[in-house]
Amino acid sequence: MTGGAGEGPQAFVCGEVRTCLLQTSASLPRAEAVRLLQLRSDEAVRFSERPNMYAVSPEVLTGVDCALPAATGSRVRAVGTVRARAVLTEGRVLQATARLSSPVSGADRRLPWGHYLVRPGVVQPLGRLSVPDVAAGFLGARPAGPDRHAAATVDLGAIAERLLARVLGQPLLDRRAPFKSRRTRLRWFAVHAADGQGPPAAEFTVAADGLRTLWISAAGLDAAEIAGFCEELALHDWLLTTLIRMVDRSRLGSTAGPEAVLALRPAVDHLLHLWMPGARTGARLAPLWDGLERHPGFTRQWQTLVQRIRDQLALQAIPFRCEA
Amino acid sequence: METTFREESADPRTQSVPLSHLSLELGHLYMEDFAAGAGRLREQFTRVKPWADAARLSVAGAAGARRPRVSTCFLVDDYFTRFSSPAELVPMLLAEAEACGLTIDYLARESGCATADGVEPASLVEGRLVESPPVGSNGSRPAVREIGWLCNGERSPAAGGGEAMSGATAWAAPAETGARRHSVFMDVELWDDGDRGRTWSCPFLAAVWQLLRLGLLRREGRPVLQAVPWGGERGAFPRSWDDLPPLVQLNPSAAPFAAYGTFSVLPSRFLPVEHAVRLVLGQVALEEAVLRQTAERADREGFAVPPAVTDRAAYAFYAEP
Repeated sequence: MTGGAGEGPQAFVCGEVRTCLLQTSASLPRAEAVRLLQLRSDEAVRFSERPNMYAVSPEVLTGVDCALPAATGSRVRAVGTVRARAVLTEGRVLQATARLSSPVSGADRRLPWGHYLVRPGVVQPLGRLSVPDVAAGFLGARPAGPDRHAAATVDLGAIAERLLARVLGQPLLDRRAPFKSRRTRLRWFAVHAADGQGPPAAEFTVAADGLRTLWISAAGLDAAEIAGFCEELALHDWLLTTLIRMVDRSRLGSTAGPEAVLALRPAVDHLLHLWMPGARTGARLAPLWDGLERHPGFTRQWQTLVQRIRDQLALQAIPFRCEA
Repeated sequence: METTFREESADPRTQSVPLSHLSLELGHLYMEDFAAGAGRLREQFTRVKPWADAARLSVAGAAGARRPRVSTCFLVDDYFTRFSSPAELVPMLLAEAEACGLTIDYLARESGCATADGVEPASLVEGRLVESPPVGSNGSRPAVREIGWLCNGERSPAAGGGEAMSGATAWAAPAETGARRHSVFMDVELWDDGDRGRTWSCPFLAAVWQLLRLGLLRREGRPVLQAVPWGGERGAFPRSWDDLPPLVQLNPSAAPFAAYGTFSVLPSRFLPVEHAVRLVLGQVALEEAVLRQTAERADREGFAVPPAVTDRAAYAFYAEP
């Protein structure tokens, strides 16, 4: 349990993950990945090489004192800190996550700031909130463009985006990405399910404007574990989205010859080895992956695309062999 | 069968430091005090002595049946102005303290709060500043720590800078967050950047000094600023401040340097600086593991430690003649 500090359990955890390609021509080796994510001098970048290269920055806290989103328009003020971190997978895909957790009720006035500082990542409502209302408000579609209501409620996307910008702004990167790709956004909300309600459940939605939403219900809400799962899901969703777009742009099937192969080469160089769903998901949340694999079936779609690319490469190789 | 897999660099560990009950600061020494001669030091120590005794008595009550562990320290400024030398100053300082019935267990150089043993405690604290958000902060505004100022509320918009570009901004009063009807607004300059790099401000270094005395700073899990014993066998004190370790232990039988709480006896002119220190301490997010370690240890000892770090620093301010 995160930041409980002897108080009531957290009723929900929510966050936003932004995923993008690291703007550099070659993937970053370990030493440079560590330098890139060294956001503070006192805490080491966590680095792991099994089952893939994975680096995690120290966490950065941001203080907030604003309304929580709510579908009904009720405005519950909440105070506390949002925690954000950056994650780099295989020196190639960069993600920033901002998240907060909240109990269902808190003191009816703002307490001294020190009270919130010793609860990193916890935002406490002034008074009582309705979890389904906040969930619907948080995951619900927001009108595009400036919206005064959205501006006044907690903006995890802005915090994640600022962290991405801070990492990407470093001179270490040559800013020559090997291919074009778009950022994806995953907004997630996890509620605490009573014990004995069976395995965790999830609902994943891909909205038209590039926003993905995920609703999770899990017993024993472990904010760090859920955030890790959501990052992993966002990574694979980004990989799939990027590969689909690349295959689409290559006009595979309608363009003959080496053009399609050339267009697909970056996928082979930079993306195909990154697919490893569930690699960092703990046993408790593993059923969520199983569910997502059944429907919409991430890996099925990925395998099909990869097979098409490999087939195309093989076809292109044949004439050369005949000539030899 | 359950298997576990751990990678050392993926899973950090935090070391703990030995802790006294109280870290008692007997004074700060700046050039002007030194320039006023040994008589000034004697006078200051005479005024400090009753407060030091009172602090010992008070912690003895709080520590219960256990023998209270109290360590004393003294801070010399070698960061803003360089004066004298350890060889000249330290023996005089120790003699004057002793004449007043005080023992200085640890001597620290102020520049050690900026750089010590290859670590930069000040920049490490800077990285952990989390500003108290004024009402309405939803995370979309960038942190103002880039400007090097930290305040306890919301600045007057006319003085705010960036937003003034959008047109004429009416002046409004600044507001202290959580004020009791009326504000005591404070804006503290933490550093300035010049041709020769960054210079940390006196209040910011004083806040770092408090955190060092509270044993709450770590770098990659390891303690920052370790005391180096300086006994008789080390011989005379060096002629240059740079040759003296940032923190020296002068009394071999002293209790640990860091403590659950600090008590500083200072002349009243330090009050604004220490107010600023409280403001900074109130906006530093310390490592959870370190706070937990300290709380658990205090719990085992049956010693009450306030959860908020700001409340762990206490003071006595005395009027100077």
